[in-house]
Amino acid sequence: MSHLFEFNGAEGKGYSQPSPIMDVSKLKLPGSMKRESLPRWPRVSEPEMVRHYTWLSKRNFGIDTGFYPLGSCTMKHNPRVNEAIAQMPGIANIHPHQPESHLQGLLSIYHEMQEMLGICAGMDAVTLQPVAGAQGEFTAIRCFQEYFRKTGQTQRTKVIVPDSAHGTNPASASMCGFEIIEIPSSADGRLDLDALRAVVGEDTAAMMITNPNTLGIFEAEVVEASQIIHDAGGLMYYDGANFNAILGWTNPGLMGFDAVHYNLHKTFSQPHGGGGPGSGPIGVKAHLAEFLPSPIVGKREIQTEDEHLYAVDDCWYTWETPESTIGKVQQWHGNAGAVVRCWAYYRRYGRDLKTMSEHAVLNANYLRHAILTKAEEAGVTHMFTEGAPINVCKHEFTISMTPAKESMGISAMDVAKGLLDMGYMAPTVYFPQIVPECLMIEPTETESKETLDEFATNFIKVLQTDAETLHESPTTTPVRRVDEVYAARNLILRYEMD
Amino acid sequence: MPFSSGVALGISGDVMVDQLPNLGREKEMLEAMGMQEIADLFSDLPKEVVMSHELPLPAPQSEEEILHDARRLLGGNVPLEQRTSFLGAGLYQNFVPSAIFQLITRGEFLTSYTPYQPEVSQGMLQAMWEFQTLISELVELPIANLSMYDGSTAAAEALTTAVRVLNRKAEQKDTVYVSRLVPPDRMSVIHNYTQGAEIKIEYIEHNKDGSINMDSLEKARGSCGIYVEYPNALGIIDEGMKQVKEIIGDVTAFIVGATPLALGLIEAPGKFGADIVVGEGQAFGSPITGGGPIYGFFAVTKPFLRQMPGRIVGKSIDVDGNEAFCLTLSTREQHIRRQRATSNICSNETLIALMGAMHMALLGPEGLEKLAYRNLAAMQMLKDKLSAVENISIPHGDSFHFNEFVIELPKSASSCIAELDEFGVIAGMDMAVWGLNENWLLVTCTDQTTEVDIEEFVDILSAWANDELEVLQ
Repeated sequence: MSHLFEFNGAEGKGYSQPSPIMDVSKLKLPGSMKRESLPRWPRVSEPEMVRHYTWLSKRNFGIDTGFYPLGSCTMKHNPRVNEAIAQMPGIANIHPHQPESHLQGLLSIYHEMQEMLGICAGMDAVTLQPVAGAQGEFTAIRCFQEYFRKTGQTQRTKVIVPDSAHGTNPASASMCGFEIIEIPSSADGRLDLDALRAVVGEDTAAMMITNPNTLGIFEAEVVEASQIIHDAGGLMYYDGANFNAILGWTNPGLMGFDAVHYNLHKTFSQPHGGGGPGSGPIGVKAHLAEFLPSPIVGKREIQTEDEHLYAVDDCWYTWETPESTIGKVQQWHGNAGAVVRCWAYYRRYGRDLKTMSEHAVLNANYLRHAILTKAEEAGVTHMFTEGAPINVCKHEFTISMTPAKESMGISAMDVAKGLLDMGYMAPTVYFPQIVPECLMIEPTETESKETLDEFATNFIKVLQTDAETLHESPTTTPVRRVDEVYAARNLILRYEMD
Repeated sequence: MPFSSGVALGISGDVMVDQLPNLGREKEMLEAMGMQEIADLFSDLPKEVVMSHELPLPAPQSEEEILHDARRLLGGNVPLEQRTSFLGAGLYQNFVPSAIFQLITRGEFLTSYTPYQPEVSQGMLQAMWEFQTLISELVELPIANLSMYDGSTAAAEALTTAVRVLNRKAEQKDTVYVSRLVPPDRMSVIHNYTQGAEIKIEYIEHNKDGSINMDSLEKARGSCGIYVEYPNALGIIDEGMKQVKEIIGDVTAFIVGATPLALGLIEAPGKFGADIVVGEGQAFGSPITGGGPIYGFFAVTKPFLRQMPGRIVGKSIDVDGNEAFCLTLSTREQHIRRQRATSNICSNETLIALMGAMHMALLGPEGLEKLAYRNLAAMQMLKDKLSAVENISIPHGDSFHFNEFVIELPKSASSCIAELDEFGVIAGMDMAVWGLNENWLLVTCTDQTTEVDIEEFVDILSAWANDELEVLQ
């Protein structure tokens, strides 16, 4: 165990830097505001610091470490050229308030990304400003809200979400001031149109849907759902968390949606970074474009000699303010560094993004099939059920461990921890909440057939492990099962100095 | 095609996608499942939603070709290091030690998800717990979360947090007071985040010298909270900050938006009564990157803990009693509490906060102080030299500044910025954009500003202000 705060070299030891360019005694500071004592930060030399963080990294599991079938998170390989590009000075060292002429390359990439994302989702206008999926949801619902205010429909105060929705959906709509109406899914994990019809009305502002839904099932009745909402005067919102499943096959525009967010950190390989940064652009149909956050990127012909000097192609790119903009959701231009990485990712596939989605779905179905087949061979099918009856899944599928839990005391969490001992990241557990003892498995398109076969075999091995051993797992990880109740009771939220 | 294709270095750009291990093995895998073609996998899509055409996008590119285009496009930008820059206004061109860039590209950090499985996520969990400690020490408040999107959303969510905690006790229900000097873009974020809870925003006015107007501040007494910046957006260190808490009283949350680097020299807000301290962390560990990804920080006193947004790491034990870390207080969060969550935040800026932690760790206490002095010294040198230039005045010249200050020009700041651009100088931030005097220019120095930069700038600016630029040409 190594603690950063236990490094305590001599005062002033460590990181070297030049002296101030003026004699410190001549600097003007208000005496009354002088800091009395410096923060008790560690005193650590560069070699110690590098070793500390390298040691920490070895106690962390990433996609680079091994298979990461974390459902709903699309843990695909992050191509390294994207990192190389993001460190170029033309992105790393630019300031958002530089003149447009200094940022033509960035604006051109923004413009291309706006166009590309619009095409992929069947939307008419795109903003890249939201920095996370949840912020994209929030932004779109804010646009809906201003649309209703402008059109005199302020009685529309309710947002409908299925009970299988990501928690961010109700949280984002609620932050905008909407009341949430949660509708139950049908017994087979799909949208229940009768339940929907029962709650729509003149107070309906919007419905938020993920499709494929969080069970990895394509909602076949999505067009009817859109019709019901639109007939009632409401708007349809597409949560793009599962967009990886459908590129080039279908799009939210065809399904009748008015707005969509993209998780660039899922579909377009922005590395998840242990929890961020992400990027959550939104696309909207034409009737909502005027409300988008400011600015978005437009283009026009080159007009002056100066512009010729700075232009990166035959257009001049400009920051534009949508007419009835909601303003800003992040102070600058969103996560520009993430947008550039995802631009490089998109260029790697181009029109073959469709092939990318096909392989995501191929791998998910193949893994599902392999698990079911091997379970049959091993005689362990009585231990679990599928989360919902399906013929094909999309990019992910769910398994319920309820039978094993009830008959043998083996929970979804036990299986998850058993998989950690096998050298895998665990699938998502206990989500969606409508599937009890849920394991949600998403392999992504960047895993080989061999990896999938081996995972299926090891998954069965975990199921064949006796309950007692599983309750003890994991045993091979940097620490063993962590006591989350202890953490919540004791709330040790920082290092305590002596 | 709606936009041009990228470069093709070979014939016709016929590049195979190289990221899919199972390319060419589709048939084998489909047959194993008793299927014939890829279309079988999409048989559950109703016909009316199936796209009738292929994606109208260009052909795939190889890594080399993408790099070629990236160099051309990003090479078309003008990075700050190519110019002499005095542009800051909330984002600062500070030095980031090389070790940081090397370490954060370690795949175990870079390619991991939010640490939901603590047993295999101890590295990032501990690093973020250490980040919480570093921030807590810096601002002198007991609790910090592990990052917000940026300083603006941190400020906005601090205000909603204050209302949730204090509305019942406050006389001025649903009301907060915000400094009039908060820049419009940040203010816009605050409006978007507070309007849903129907929070009423009033303003705290400032005196001519940029300090808080105490009569105006009196009005905030009994409200849910106030938000003021320290130093403020014009770079001013206001000595009145130490009286604020006493004036607004116990019921009203004192929220400080702090420039973290300045805290190496000026008193930590926790020492003069701040209840919540937020800010833009960028100066620690992160290049400006066009404004993102950067990270916001968020620290509170105990009464605000259970209503604060964002992820928090706690120290715990594993079943063997060994020290172990995990996310805690998740019942505040959207994935548990849904519409009753304290925030919708899920993805945050962990990796950038990690860069911040690494930078803070390397600096240490004395390194922080020295770095703050370097930033102060560069600003002071520029201020001293500009105060002697004819036709340029310093409106808040008698106030104390950090990093930046406003100068008043004989003509518009926008014309100054445009004309100095031709001399390779980025002059600063046009204060007309913030709705202030159009002849006001905010000029910023950092630890990267050299004496040569300052001399060059002062010469050119002086020539410009006195209509002598052609002499330099």
